[in-house]
Amino acid sequence: MGTRVELRARRRGGACRALGLACGAALASVTACGSADAAPLAHREVLPNGIVLLVAERPAVPIVAVRVLTRAGAVYDPADRAGLANLTGAVLTRGTAKRTGPELDSAIEFVGGSVEAGANRDSITVSMTAQKKDLALGLDLVSEVVLTPTFPEAEVARKVSEIQAAIKRSEEDPGTVAARALSRLVFDGHAYGRPVEGTRESVGRLTRDDVVKFYRERSRPGTTVVAVVGAVTVDEARREIMARFGSWSRPADPLAAVPAATAPAAAREETVTRELTQTTIMFGRQAILQTDPDYFPMAVASYVLGGGSASRLYTRVREESGLAYSVYSWVAPWRYGASFAVSAQTRTAEVPRVVTMIREELARMGREPVAERELTLAKQYLIGSFPLRLDTSGKVADFLVAVEDRGLGLDYADRYKERIGRVTAADVQRVAAKYLTPAAFSLVIVGDTK
Amino acid sequence: MRIAILLPLIVSLLASSSARAADRVVAATLDNGLRVLLLEDQRSPIVSFQVWYRVGSRNEQRGSTGIAHFLEHMMFKGTPSHGPKQFARLVEENGGQDNAFTSQDVTSYYVDIAADKLDLVIDLEADRMQNLLLDPKEIASEREVVIEERRTRTEDDPSGFLGEEVSSIAFKAHAYGAPIIGWMDDIKRVTPEEIRAFYKTYYVPNNAVVVAVGAFRAADTLEKIKKRFGRIPRGKVPPPMLAVEPAQNGERRVVVRKQAELPIVYMAWHVPNHRSDDAVALEVLSTILSGGRASRLYRDLVYQRQLALEAGGDNAYFSIDPNLFWFWATPMPGQTPEKLETELSAHMERLKTEPVTDEELARAKNQLEAAFVYQEDSVHQRASLLARFELIGAFALKDSFLAKVRAITAADLTRVARTWFAPERKSVGVLLPKS
Repeated sequence: MGTRVELRARRRGGACRALGLACGAALASVTACGSADAAPLAHREVLPNGIVLLVAERPAVPIVAVRVLTRAGAVYDPADRAGLANLTGAVLTRGTAKRTGPELDSAIEFVGGSVEAGANRDSITVSMTAQKKDLALGLDLVSEVVLTPTFPEAEVARKVSEIQAAIKRSEEDPGTVAARALSRLVFDGHAYGRPVEGTRESVGRLTRDDVVKFYRERSRPGTTVVAVVGAVTVDEARREIMARFGSWSRPADPLAAVPAATAPAAAREETVTRELTQTTIMFGRQAILQTDPDYFPMAVASYVLGGGSASRLYTRVREESGLAYSVYSWVAPWRYGASFAVSAQTRTAEVPRVVTMIREELARMGREPVAERELTLAKQYLIGSFPLRLDTSGKVADFLVAVEDRGLGLDYADRYKERIGRVTAADVQRVAAKYLTPAAFSLVIVGDTK
Repeated sequence: MRIAILLPLIVSLLASSSARAADRVVAATLDNGLRVLLLEDQRSPIVSFQVWYRVGSRNEQRGSTGIAHFLEHMMFKGTPSHGPKQFARLVEENGGQDNAFTSQDVTSYYVDIAADKLDLVIDLEADRMQNLLLDPKEIASEREVVIEERRTRTEDDPSGFLGEEVSSIAFKAHAYGAPIIGWMDDIKRVTPEEIRAFYKTYYVPNNAVVVAVGAFRAADTLEKIKKRFGRIPRGKVPPPMLAVEPAQNGERRVVVRKQAELPIVYMAWHVPNHRSDDAVALEVLSTILSGGRASRLYRDLVYQRQLALEAGGDNAYFSIDPNLFWFWATPMPGQTPEKLETELSAHMERLKTEPVTDEELARAKNQLEAAFVYQEDSVHQRASLLARFELIGAFALKDSFLAKVRAITAADLTRVARTWFAPERKSVGVLLPKS
């Protein structure tokens, strides 16, 4: 409705916006959660065929959000087939045993709902939103997409050229270019180092047979998580999911394991030249999984350093020096590895100054304890903002499938709150000394470096 | 067939009648002119508190563009009682999230926070409505931040860059022709005195709307707002914006070359805003063109013929003054912007001669209606939607909007397409990648 032209005071994220691919937004929300109350977030049960069903009743608004997560992300791409999971996710809704892609689009959009599918590093997620009155139709479509996709040859070809064009265009977005290069440096030798979307060349080599084989192998009830959130009861959700997914059987053959990411031999620097007025600076290194007890001090450290508009980097680089509009740090935990990154965009002439400031602030985190007020602010923000992060059925559903997939348990929200609450200045300093030493960070610079 | 189309409409009509905004919103206008809208929503222990000022780039003069947005940045730079940086700090240490945005018509500030922290937020917002420091030293440093923001959004972003060029040729009299962020030289030049004068003129209670949705008791919250905001004296009525954009008498065109991977095509027509009933028809038309994958532009240009990587359109329904209806497309590699422009125009011409199908019309109506239901899910979105309707006249227009949508016929769409999409009212922008 004509509201697309609005300028925000502050910007967060942005590193992976250009491709329109799932970039782990749900997973990022897991990084900052603590429950405000002790009520269970959702009902959980394992269906006879192994599907984990999570249901959260939110009766007030007549809508339902559904997520079906399958452990079929880019991390499982064969080394010579980068982009396969992403292509599979993109073609998943493009034809089922009952409907063509356009028929499916028309059916759900006619009732004002949506059915989408997409891959990220760890999984393919099918997402559906509909009004309560259209739940049966929405679930029919979701189950068709998950259980009987036909991956028509022509649709695979279409998506291949679309993805190739999107990759080409993403080369004009410095944030995407930097994030892609940084992943390659930080996860050198691991599947996380490859771009989820692949490269134009790798995607060009993918065939329908690759897609069919990949999905047949990866899609199975035992590694599928279904979340149903909204104006629905547990009984109703169980009945509707069982009716559609109950007879899906488990294959017997085990899945090949993916090794956990290990730190690369050395930090590296890379420069990408682009004719731009501003330069993007991105530091990164591997960090820790959410299952590691040090994850909680790490989350606090990241918030103090570059998490909000009271953070050290925001204060020094933006507020005091006027060197950047956008400067922030974040922890990105995935299933087999995690990264910690710092990013800033500044005028080209000031790159050395900003790089120095970031290095100094990284080092200071491990050298001296954080001040009491900084610690309190970070902890209270991380704990207190939890309900805000789960304020829609869609966000709750994203959170539930992510928590389940990572094996964090439905009490994760409460545990997070409790663990964050216990973090001391000494914990932050210890973890920072271990993980935030500047020398361990790879660095990518994208801009007019000539 | 006909029943299949009508049924969802009837059902959704019933579903939404229970959610009429007008029934439950507590609305008041304080003695100083501040408009207050409160809606209780007890689902979660949170509240969205928003202050919307009726000022944006629309209110700016040539030579000092970007001042509304610059001031928005300065609103985070402190008052005598809450020093620089304290605002965001206080919000964060109370577990809240805050931000702000500036558009052509409005400047909006929000805090989403635990409901038991509402008093703090009321105090902070009332304080910065009246007592902003606007320290010249802080202005000097924030100027550099805004310049960096402009580099990110415009200088180094092909789509932002082209959008600015097209707006600037589409308007010759009205301030909508200038970018919200301002021209670079204006950002560099604007003085602390001008920013202060702008603040004094527009940041007055009689030029603002406070909206809160969340877990509070409306009567109590209204009392608190009265107590805290009520002390702020009413200001002079801000000067009216008198510029009227003259009718466009011929096609306008701009072609820019920039480092980019793919070309972009923009087309924009002058259209009426919410004051005209045609605006609702344009909203439906925009949805038929670009609402989802079953929409015309996606299905034809992106899907069937693979001419575009993306194609879409957008109508400016909520605009305070008449604004633009945008069309855009990104050609696939190997396709030319000329081809896409021809195809976008062909879609527009088709709307003038051939009625949309019953299915297309019903789908668009259902999509618009469902979007309203989805917005109800979040207190933040509920508050924003109330504010947007209040700013174009009254929050209760939210309810009549859907009734107007339902009344639109295929003939209405043909008529508005013929009325508003004449070739001589069109502005075209093409971005070509620099080789």
